[in-house]
Amino acid sequence: MIQLHHVTKLYGEVIGVNDLCLDMQPGAYGLVGPNGSGKTTLINLLTGQLRPTLGAVKVFGEPPSNNRKLLRRLGLCPATDVLYPNVSARQWVSYLVSLHGFSKQESEELAVQSLDHVGMLSRMDRPMGEYSLGMRQRAKIAQAIAHQPDLIILDEPYNGLDPVGRQQMSDLLKRWVGEGKSLLFASHVLHEIESITSSFLLIYGGRLLASGTSEELESFISEAPQQVTLVGEDVAELVADLTRQSWVESVQLGDNRTKLKVALRDPAAFYQALPAWINGKSIRVDQLQGSQSNLTAIFDALLRNHRGEV
Amino acid sequence: MIVRVIWEVVKFELARSLTFGRGMIWVLLVLFPIALVGILRGLDVPLEPVEPWGIMLYFLVPEVMCLLALLLWATPVISTEIEGQTWGYLALRPTGRLEVILGKYFTAVIWSLAATICSTTICIFLMGSAGGFRLWMVMVVLCILSSFAHASLYLLIGVVFHKRTIVTAVFYTGAVEYGLSFVPAVANKMTINYRLRGLLSNWMDWEEARSAAENVFGSEPSWMHLGVLVLMTSVLLVCTLARVRWSEFPTQQVG
Repeated sequence: MIQLHHVTKLYGEVIGVNDLCLDMQPGAYGLVGPNGSGKTTLINLLTGQLRPTLGAVKVFGEPPSNNRKLLRRLGLCPATDVLYPNVSARQWVSYLVSLHGFSKQESEELAVQSLDHVGMLSRMDRPMGEYSLGMRQRAKIAQAIAHQPDLIILDEPYNGLDPVGRQQMSDLLKRWVGEGKSLLFASHVLHEIESITSSFLLIYGGRLLASGTSEELESFISEAPQQVTLVGEDVAELVADLTRQSWVESVQLGDNRTKLKVALRDPAAFYQALPAWINGKSIRVDQLQGSQSNLTAIFDALLRNHRGEV
Repeated sequence: MIVRVIWEVVKFELARSLTFGRGMIWVLLVLFPIALVGILRGLDVPLEPVEPWGIMLYFLVPEVMCLLALLLWATPVISTEIEGQTWGYLALRPTGRLEVILGKYFTAVIWSLAATICSTTICIFLMGSAGGFRLWMVMVVLCILSSFAHASLYLLIGVVFHKRTIVTAVFYTGAVEYGLSFVPAVANKMTINYRLRGLLSNWMDWEEARSAAENVFGSEPSWMHLGVLVLMTSVLLVCTLARVRWSEFPTQQVG
């Protein structure tokens, strides 16, 4: 479905994406990365809005740039908002569908059908200026699916949706995937994607750090050194104990000796030993911050692995 | 299909631009020449000779009013989509670049023509015996030519300079269409306003005005003025479409 062959995109001297190689079969994929990691650049390359500085991009076997035939098979829900305040969702979606070459009547029917899918039927004739952020988000998804593409690309589609809206959107996307259609879902929140698909691409600093299923990534993450931060007046007293352990990779003391960052090979051993050290020396620890749920920390671990540091 | 899509774009753009703000701008543009002609009529300025009235009307409507209208409606076609972050939604459609730009071009021309023809008609009515059907007809044709030609010019400026678009277009208009077009040199023949003035003097048989200011009204035949205008409009449009087809306009913030 998608092939990237050593793709690099430069904005002047700034690298958007760097030497990406990918071969994705039809299916559902999550594109995960922190803000500024290159997700949107990658999406723009896939939709032909940008041309690669180096390398080649192919979607459904064809280069996407200025490819009218291919654009008919793609649907995109960008992260940006819609700013046509005096136009209704029905008018907007119908207009965008008509730009695919459908007749006026077909465009109307497809627009109404897709707005029904996203739960906007009763509000589709109101001007979009009166919509909440969540309603605009639904209208954006409706325009992405209305012309019945083979692949939809969603950039942060849950922005602005309340929990009920998120659940409804997840159900809609699951149905889409269940119908055998393809999906690329970009987000900086891992669990948003987990509810839709178990296949991930992890991108950071314009580079593809890892790809695979959630189990594979969790396994990798559990094996990678994890960072724990301790904050308290006496945390410096733990340094001696920590440096004696084989499962401690590094110890860093900062903030006037009140903040201790520890990189661990075996977090379980650390959590087992820590209470005894604290009680034995009557050390006061005000904060203990793990990193397992911190996406940036996961990416740090992957980046260190990518550089060959671990 | 292309014509159908362009028509859909025109309908959508017209519906979307029917706002109170734009309506007020349109009304102000229409009233501007009418107010000036009305004041002159109120001051009992003699209606003969006709030439000064005709030249004033030409300067107010096909030149100033057309340019102001198109500065507002043709120049920002791309920049508003980029600033509003809606370009990405259009550019991902098979006809979202070329046909959309052409649709926006015709929308700008429609807005400009609606304002200029309305204003011309009322002004000619106020001018009484200094007006007449011939002057009205010539002015309407000049409005049409001016709208199509200037819209293509501003469209190109808009797609090349999608940042500070209006400032660039105003600077170009001042320097070239109002500065260079009056300079007695070969360069003024490359301006749209020079060609329009030439057509005005030819079609109204204002030989006296032409002989008094040949660098302003030119001495070429009408077919040459028309040919150059059509050629300029076509070249500007082709350049605009080529630029839009191959440009990587920013679609949104990089994430």
